[in-house]
Amino acid sequence: MPAVSLEGIGKKYRISSSRSSLLKEALSFGKVKRSHDLWALQDIDLQVRPGTTLGIMGRNGAGKSTLLRIISGVLQPTTGTVEVNGRLTAIFGLGSGFNPEFTGRENVMLNGLILGIDHKEMLERFDEIAAFAEIGEFMDQPIRTYSSGMRSRLGFAVAVNVDPDILVLDEALSAGDAAFKKKALQRMYDLRDSGTTVLFVSHSMGMVQKFCTDAILLHKGRMVTAGSPEEVADRYKELLENAQQKDNRAGGADRGLDDMLEREEEEDLEGVGSRNGSAKRTRRSAKEAEIQGVQVLDEGVKPVSEVPSGSTVTVRVHARYATAVEDSSLGITLRSKKAGVDVFSTDTEAEQTPLGPRAAGEEATVDFAFELPLQAGTYTIDAAILSEEEDLDRAEQVASFKVVRVGSERYVGSLVHLPTKVEIHGPDGGQASPSRSA
Amino acid sequence: MATHTTSAKTSSAGGFFDALGSFYRQRWLLKYFIQRQVTRSYKRSYLGFAWAFLGPLIWVFFLSLIFSKVVGIRFRIVEGDPTLNFGLFLYCGLLPFLAFSESLNKGINSIKGNAGLVQKVVFPLELLPFTNAITSLIDKFFGLGALLIILLVLEHRWHWTVLLLPLLVVLQLLFILGLTYLMAVIGTYVPDVAEVMRPVIRGMFFATPILWPTGKLPENLAWIVNYNPLAYLVESYRALILYGELPGAQATLYFALFAAAVFVLGFTVFVRLRPGFADQL
Repeated sequence: MPAVSLEGIGKKYRISSSRSSLLKEALSFGKVKRSHDLWALQDIDLQVRPGTTLGIMGRNGAGKSTLLRIISGVLQPTTGTVEVNGRLTAIFGLGSGFNPEFTGRENVMLNGLILGIDHKEMLERFDEIAAFAEIGEFMDQPIRTYSSGMRSRLGFAVAVNVDPDILVLDEALSAGDAAFKKKALQRMYDLRDSGTTVLFVSHSMGMVQKFCTDAILLHKGRMVTAGSPEEVADRYKELLENAQQKDNRAGGADRGLDDMLEREEEEDLEGVGSRNGSAKRTRRSAKEAEIQGVQVLDEGVKPVSEVPSGSTVTVRVHARYATAVEDSSLGITLRSKKAGVDVFSTDTEAEQTPLGPRAAGEEATVDFAFELPLQAGTYTIDAAILSEEEDLDRAEQVASFKVVRVGSERYVGSLVHLPTKVEIHGPDGGQASPSRSA
Repeated sequence: MATHTTSAKTSSAGGFFDALGSFYRQRWLLKYFIQRQVTRSYKRSYLGFAWAFLGPLIWVFFLSLIFSKVVGIRFRIVEGDPTLNFGLFLYCGLLPFLAFSESLNKGINSIKGNAGLVQKVVFPLELLPFTNAITSLIDKFFGLGALLIILLVLEHRWHWTVLLLPLLVVLQLLFILGLTYLMAVIGTYVPDVAEVMRPVIRGMFFATPILWPTGKLPENLAWIVNYNPLAYLVESYRALILYGELPGAQATLYFALFAAAVFVLGFTVFVRLRPGFADQL
């Protein structure tokens, strides 16, 4: 039985400047036409299996939010049938329904009940929610005394701590600071791994590729593609590219597609890859060793976030051993955000620099210095400590940096930029002045 | 909201009773919502909730003080009860009218004013007008308490018929609920009507024997009272509280039937049109 099943879903809106123009139209018996129909969604057929994480992509106005609202039952479809099996929790904007005059405690209860949770269940879950939101003693203060960060923390805490079978999120993670985003994301990974079906709207391809098992692409109210996040992201890129070309031809804003993608990636990264942090850590409960932080340094051993293509960088990894470890190695992986592939990976063993035995409490700092003949774009670093049998600790996307290159405004679809010499020969066979790129 | 199926063709068979059942299923939510509305206006004051009772007490005290001499004397002759305080007579009639007007005025806005709940969460919308009706009634309970205290202290008159008041309140609730549901629908779909309803509700005040006694009405205008359900409520409140009499059996039966019909109509219309609310905001 699918968790969500949509058949022939369509949603029509009647667009007019005001209600009075609708009245004029009705009174003229069709002689005056002041409104037109707009199909926000058309012919959507979709089956979502339980446990799927579905990313919904599309440009602004593609119908993403309308679709989620129809699935969650807030809006009625004009045509078609929706079937939902299981407890569905939808978040359209965090903390909607909070009353500023009431305490955090009262609002949590109220919010939970609005989300359809039983009163008894809510009482049982209260401590969990309070702990997650980190509101502390403010829990018994009116919400109006809260900062906006506290408010959205509380809203998110309620929504994700009620164990929904199906979680519907509409850009819900755009609020909150980096630390909260990270935590929220972690919680979403947990939910996903515990088998919750997640339907998720995002503009960020990186986010969808990382988080989702399936994806669909909406364009002008129709479902253009459904499939793996990579496929759908590719189609989305094409779509954006086309739109961009159209824009350029129409003399629109002269913003490169590259920039556009980059910007999205940056937004995406805000929540994930700050230094010394990790978005997705697969750790065993009792850690024998831990990645404590990763830094990206330039040739002058200063931390950098932007490096020119072709320069040398040093990736510095700090690790700490909690127990004595006989033999271990430390490795890093460089990943291109744009392409979504691992570019480069190495470890101390492969570089023939063994770490040797380490005592409990000992710390180790390992520098990897290498050249970056890479295309412009954002790259992330994963770090891991490995013993012979298993990973002792793994921190994904623990740091990120940007490679920049002169002339990179144009989108060039490849991964590396090898040092290139360009010579142009005239028709007479003579040599024109050589030029060297980068 | 465990499992739901939504279709473009809404089947409303059983929708009425299903929606009625949601009041029980959502009783905690209802409780919070009512609590929230009742206490909202007093939240920031020092005495807090005590004002729900103190406010009406001050009001009824002043009314009875002011009107005991000035307007009262001439009025007593008209009404034929020389001991009656006009302030208390006025306040007793005001209670059912205020419950009615407050509930309806809030009801008109109950969907629009809660856009967040309508558009952002799956919310049992039938609770919203219900909350309005109940809250305005609860509010008047405190007024009633104040009235009874003043009656005892100043007038030393209490009648056993007060005990029958809860039965009347049940009918009153049905009546107000039905109209509030209708208002909620109208206010959402045809906002213009809300502009008409406000003066109409205010006009009802003068068309109802609150300020003037029924006996004063000319014969050819008697229909204003006879066909006015609010007049029945006002008269019955006074009969039970002030005079120690029972309201007429026939009038009560008619009012009960009317109230039930209004409720069924209002609630049905509301449940039928509810799916389209989100599109109207």
